[in-house]
Amino acid sequence: MKHSKAWGAWLIVTMAIILSTRNPVYLLVLLISLLTLGSFFKRKDRTGLWLLQNLRFSGTMILLSSLINAIFTHTGKHVIFTIPVNWPLIGGPITLESLIFGMVNGLIIGSLYLAFNIFNLVLNIKQITGLIPKIFHPISITITIALTFFPSVQQRAKEIREAQLIRGNQMKRISDWLPLFLPLLITSLENAIVLSESMTARGYHSQRSAVPARIVTSSLIFSAFLIFSGWILGIYDYPILFSTGLYSIGGLVILIIFLYANRRVKITRYHHETWHRRDSFTVLLLVTAFVVWIVLQTGAKLPTAAYSVYPALSFPAVQVEGIVLSCTPIIPLPFLNK
Amino acid sequence: MKFKVIRSLLIDLFVLLLGCLSLLTPFIFQQARYPRFTQSSFPVMVSVIIMLCITIVLFESQSALLDGKMIALLGMLIAINAGLRFLESALPGPAGFTPIFFLIILSGYLFSSRVGFLMGAMTMLISALITGGVGPWLPGQMITAGWLGQSAALLKPIIAKCGWKEKPMEIVILTAFSAVWGILYGLIMNLWFWPFLSNSPEMSWSQTISVWENVKRYLAYYIATSLFWDLSRSVGNILIFSTLTKTVAKILTRFYHRFSFQYTQTVNR
Repeated sequence: MKHSKAWGAWLIVTMAIILSTRNPVYLLVLLISLLTLGSFFKRKDRTGLWLLQNLRFSGTMILLSSLINAIFTHTGKHVIFTIPVNWPLIGGPITLESLIFGMVNGLIIGSLYLAFNIFNLVLNIKQITGLIPKIFHPISITITIALTFFPSVQQRAKEIREAQLIRGNQMKRISDWLPLFLPLLITSLENAIVLSESMTARGYHSQRSAVPARIVTSSLIFSAFLIFSGWILGIYDYPILFSTGLYSIGGLVILIIFLYANRRVKITRYHHETWHRRDSFTVLLLVTAFVVWIVLQTGAKLPTAAYSVYPALSFPAVQVEGIVLSCTPIIPLPFLNK
Repeated sequence: MKFKVIRSLLIDLFVLLLGCLSLLTPFIFQQARYPRFTQSSFPVMVSVIIMLCITIVLFESQSALLDGKMIALLGMLIAINAGLRFLESALPGPAGFTPIFFLIILSGYLFSSRVGFLMGAMTMLISALITGGVGPWLPGQMITAGWLGQSAALLKPIIAKCGWKEKPMEIVILTAFSAVWGILYGLIMNLWFWPFLSNSPEMSWSQTISVWENVKRYLAYYIATSLFWDLSRSVGNILIFSTLTKTVAKILTRFYHRFSFQYTQTVNR
């Protein structure tokens, strides 16, 4: 799997699954799946440190989250030891429940971090910016300019800093930064003027945009309002049909308006990504896993996805389907080798 | 022209209202205090709604003010600001000390609220792309930094009305503004995950207590986990703004005039 859109689908599905369970066993399986997938990429690049670094990061995250939660949270029946109550903020019993609650939070944060880490690992900046819809063409041009000029800005900053150091400016106070910042700012803005003149000379933005701005903005506002209303109705325990309906209409409006407006934007892309058959297979499997997860969750067929240490601490129950679906992040693995 | 201004204002207000409502849901909506709400949907839905808000402002801004000249100016300013993040290590500051607020606030103050929003939101996006820091926290960072730049534009009419333009009071106001935002940025950024993450009776969001009690708990959580970090950012902003504002504002204004030229047909037939 190589296509950025397929990886985008992978990220959305993985994030949705991570954020919709608090069962530590499922979260652990998710974390292991992500580590396996990530270490596969890095092995190809011959840098074996990735697994070790991320294992260390995840472990630290789980440990820190457990400790912080245990120090500040004193709820639970299983008391391990007690900090004197008169100690401000942290005084009180340290409980097993709060440790486990913190550990679950750490597992979620660690898994989310890993998912985004892999996403950043497999796609280059060009592919990520390519995911920006065509109607945001001016924005993506701005991003491209910033990314293109970033290395030269950095290089210039380094040169000016070295020149200042040679002149005896040690850069120890904020005011010492002025001789560095001003030349950097002025030369960069002069470059921007040259760039804008060459863009104008090449006819950039000489024609009015073909995208009907008012229609797009109104539709986006309308769909944002619908999605927010659906969420609030869901919170107030209205029938799930109301929320789902509003989410669907909102999502559909966004999809239609993006498709409609994208078609009206005429831009030339010189390097197209190729969509392979294995991208289709992967996306199909990902969507299937996601739909099954949603159906099981909404139909209350996967009660083990929700786990809480309160009011009574218990060992997290697991279901085979839960374990299998927690392996979803690993789906792209068989499609990577070719 | 007047219609355009009112329309832009209404869109900005809608985005601000929707963004604030979604972030403050646990405080505002009583029924929102169900455990299952806390556990799963909150961070996802807040991120989705905030992303929609960002999309609306980005689209509106790009169609209203981004021509070739502004694109080049913004792109370059964002590149400089993202570069400043890398120079943080050379700065003599602890914890949350960051120089990136400087150009965001000045852009909003000197150019316009929309440019300020774009500068803030896109600085966060570019730095995330460069550092590999794309994550679920990014929409929150983008909209908060966007609001930072956008709100700086509010100072312009106040300073102009009071006759403080290009006087020491202008720098004092901007410095105080940056100091407040140093704290406010952290206060807003914690909101999207706070009800989801913490479960301490003293510091976490509860289903059964009043709004005011929840606000007090949030403040306790903020003081315990983020205040030191944000205070160092505030102090850093005070130092940067009091030292660099006068000179840099002059340069930015001069370049903005150079970028603001319009082609007009002058040939009489």
